[in-house]
Amino acid sequence: MSDALALQLVLWLPLAGMFVLWAVPASSPGTVRGLSFWLMVAQFVLCAWLYARFEPGVPGLQFATRVPWIESWGVYFSIGLDGYNVLLVLLTGFLGPLVVAGSFSAIDKELKLFHAMVFLIQFAMIGTFLAQDLFVFYVFWETMLIPMFLMIGIWGGERRIYATLKFVLYTAFGSILMLAAVIYLVLAAQRAGHAASFAFADLLRLGLPPDVQLWLFAAFGLSFAIKVPMVPLHTWLPDAHVEAPTTGSVILAGVLLKMGTYGFLKLGFPLFPAATLQLAPLILWLSVASIVIGACLALVQDDIKKIIAYSSISHLGYVMLGLISLDLIGIQGAIVQMVSHGLTAAGLFLMIGMVYERCHTRELAAYGGLAKLVPLYSVAFMILTLASIGLPTTSGFTGEFLVLLGAFNAAWALHLQGQDFALAPAVLAVTGVVLGALYMLRFAAKFLFGPTRAPVARLTDLNRREAAILAALIAAVFWLGLFPAEPLRKTETAAREFRQLVLSARADALPGSRP
Amino acid sequence: MNWSAFVVGMLPEHFLIVGLLLLIVHAIVARGPQGAAAIAGVCVAAAAVAALGLGLGGHVGQPFPGQVSVTPAASFGKALALVLALPVLLLARDDLGDGGPLYPLLVASLYGLALMLSSDSFLTLFLGLELMSLPVYALVLMGLRRESTPEAALKYLVLGGAATATFLMGVSLLYGQQATLDIGIFAAAVGSRDPLALAGATLVLLAFFLKAAVVPFHAWAPDAYEGASVPVTAYMAAIVKAGVLLAALRLFGQAQPSPAMVGLLALLPLASIVWGNLAAMRQPNLRRMMAYSSIAHAGYLFYAFLGAGPGRLQSVLFYLLAYGLMTLLAFAALPPHADDAQRDRLDQLKGLFHRQPFAAIVIGLAMLSLAGIPPLPGFVAKFLIFREVMAAGYTLYAVLGLIGSYLGIYFYLRVIQYMFMSPAAVPAGGQAPVRGVAVAAALMCLLPALAVAIGPGWFLPRL
Repeated sequence: MSDALALQLVLWLPLAGMFVLWAVPASSPGTVRGLSFWLMVAQFVLCAWLYARFEPGVPGLQFATRVPWIESWGVYFSIGLDGYNVLLVLLTGFLGPLVVAGSFSAIDKELKLFHAMVFLIQFAMIGTFLAQDLFVFYVFWETMLIPMFLMIGIWGGERRIYATLKFVLYTAFGSILMLAAVIYLVLAAQRAGHAASFAFADLLRLGLPPDVQLWLFAAFGLSFAIKVPMVPLHTWLPDAHVEAPTTGSVILAGVLLKMGTYGFLKLGFPLFPAATLQLAPLILWLSVASIVIGACLALVQDDIKKIIAYSSISHLGYVMLGLISLDLIGIQGAIVQMVSHGLTAAGLFLMIGMVYERCHTRELAAYGGLAKLVPLYSVAFMILTLASIGLPTTSGFTGEFLVLLGAFNAAWALHLQGQDFALAPAVLAVTGVVLGALYMLRFAAKFLFGPTRAPVARLTDLNRREAAILAALIAAVFWLGLFPAEPLRKTETAAREFRQLVLSARADALPGSRP
Repeated sequence: MNWSAFVVGMLPEHFLIVGLLLLIVHAIVARGPQGAAAIAGVCVAAAAVAALGLGLGGHVGQPFPGQVSVTPAASFGKALALVLALPVLLLARDDLGDGGPLYPLLVASLYGLALMLSSDSFLTLFLGLELMSLPVYALVLMGLRRESTPEAALKYLVLGGAATATFLMGVSLLYGQQATLDIGIFAAAVGSRDPLALAGATLVLLAFFLKAAVVPFHAWAPDAYEGASVPVTAYMAAIVKAGVLLAALRLFGQAQPSPAMVGLLALLPLASIVWGNLAAMRQPNLRRMMAYSSIAHAGYLFYAFLGAGPGRLQSVLFYLLAYGLMTLLAFAALPPHADDAQRDRLDQLKGLFHRQPFAAIVIGLAMLSLAGIPPLPGFVAKFLIFREVMAAGYTLYAVLGLIGSYLGIYFYLRVIQYMFMSPAAVPAGGQAPVRGVAVAAALMCLLPALAVAIGPGWFLPRL
């Protein structure tokens, strides 16, 4: 099998799964679950194989396919793996089977529709990462909306309708402005004498005037910032997370939130470098605000899902900080942090789902003393908590450390050039690490230790299925923490290219700046 | 008269007139009403195939020089309307049975539409426009099932009359200036700065706005849509609207609107988009909601007229196809109900997915497409329109229009919310499953829509 075909399969397998499920009788839930699980496993195996085959140090796309779709507009169905998306595709593929396995005991109504939606969202997420054509990207980007809307709305908690409409209306507003910007961008390219094309590679070479860049960046950036979400556009996230079923939260935290940061990485910053550099102080401050405010809000929550929801805002603030540092180490750290957050947040949401299934409450005050009752669960929980804090040897450390290192590198370099705006935010970002330790340890202390309370008295420990899911996640967390060299090598070329694309605007303005 | 051009070029019209005559004969001769639907269906299908063939073959001819001429654009327009009419015939068969003068009226209306689309003079255009509209006034009254229906029909008739009067007044102004009834004078007037010509063109345009239900001439639509039976509502929403837009397309030709015209062409459609979407949020039943939705869609469609050039034809045709298919799809999948007034109450749709998954999924797809969410065809259609507006240089109008379309997302999603997220409430009684004929009609809309969604690149260059 050729590699390009394997990549096609990675994309289309979930969609095929959606239609295969149609044929399965609804009366046999076991078949529906088993089929979904093994299809996801097959997809992950393909992802892992492609990851292993992915050649580091080679610029550009690998395993690419390009088929004309709407030829008269220059739209090509173009997908491929590159340093930007290789780790994220692997993460999405890895979480797929775990998401399905995690829902075995939690979801029992409308099983077929549920798995169909999981497949659809998997398809849309992989497609968004792989797309190398702006039109295709936008189509996949928007397609993600509908399965998530249904997932929260059908299988969610009490205030699910409110939460799901808030989620959709927030994200759709960003998308509609992005659509305007997409159309404008492509028309501007045509006016400048280029052939009609939506290909990223062509759009990256446009060199639009700075004032146009600013408008377009505002539209793209707003859409991405809502998805990340960055403070102050984050208010949809806690509602969506709290009301979503465990599966929805896991997908949301695991992959969907990375769409925003991936958007900035792949499109937002490189397409509009002049606007990015002009707005860099603002983005920097918003990233730091996300880190600190997210952490402070997480510190005072009584709902265990909300703690993780707000911690996500804080962790994704680091990703944004790493990207805007425009320092090679920071950018690499941001990519690793995306994956790390995907693993830890997905794991923590799965674990919260596991106790919720048993105790039916999300009140932090209702829990306590789990360490004595359910030791295996508590060990796993503690490992994921520490990974989330960023303890060395875990993936969180690799990500956060590299991001902060990059941020200080960049701030110091700017300081040497006589620009001091970046120093204060970089220092503030470090306080986020302390705050992170504070809220996660407060959570773990109240949750795992202390007196045992009534609702948890009959709690049972992890069963084999749950233990296997968590073991896989924890293994991945340590893999990224102990052996980050290999994944970093695979993303390095892309990180360099990203940096060069964004800084190209500065090179014109400031000759003799850092190489 | 040019005989060969007459025979070949007007083939779709011939099939329709043969169908109309057969239906009349059938009504006189046959014992019962059985078979009328079949005659209408075969004739309309034949006409659709003929129109499509003429369009794809690039047939150009002048059956009646100066009055009627056939171009590929006109043939595609006819094919579009006739293809959309087929599911309506099935729906009518399902909802109203074989009885009454329904089919002759529908076919007559389609004949008027076809004539209108290949007219070269205002005389023929007016003939076609009226022939298309008059049967619909009667159709609204067909299958009278509730007290509000006559009022709705009357409202539609009176405002239709007003549109006719406005149209004639505009034409008389244009005629007074140019001393010809050739439709080219409209395109010339649209681009000119002469006040008299502009006044004439404005009046004609306003008549079209009224027929297509553009704000502020939209008030008849919700009442008429609600009062009519479902197939007739579907016919008005999809086909009559398509006819009006296609006629406007023919009138505009390649004209570049003058600045004064741009104001009219941008502001009223924009108001239509915003108000249609806002008002739709508050509607308690699907037919009224779809009426406001169609008001908003009329806005998008007239937006395309801001741009000149071949993109206008392409975007309007594609939009009408996507919009028409999906509107019909929603109506086709709507489960029948013993009480027509109850049939499309949004409360009745609550928990529909648990009772009738197929109907719910299909209506859901229609709503998502109408909301313009990819990968459904409504998205490509909307993309085309706004690309057209932006390419013409009206970036601000395009952005405002897109924000207006954002307002629409909520009420389309609300329908999905009712169908999928509400508990499976026991229906108030009377709701029946969707019947086979209606399923066939739904598939006739769904399959082309999916084909268009997967391969827009194949369709677009051929339009």
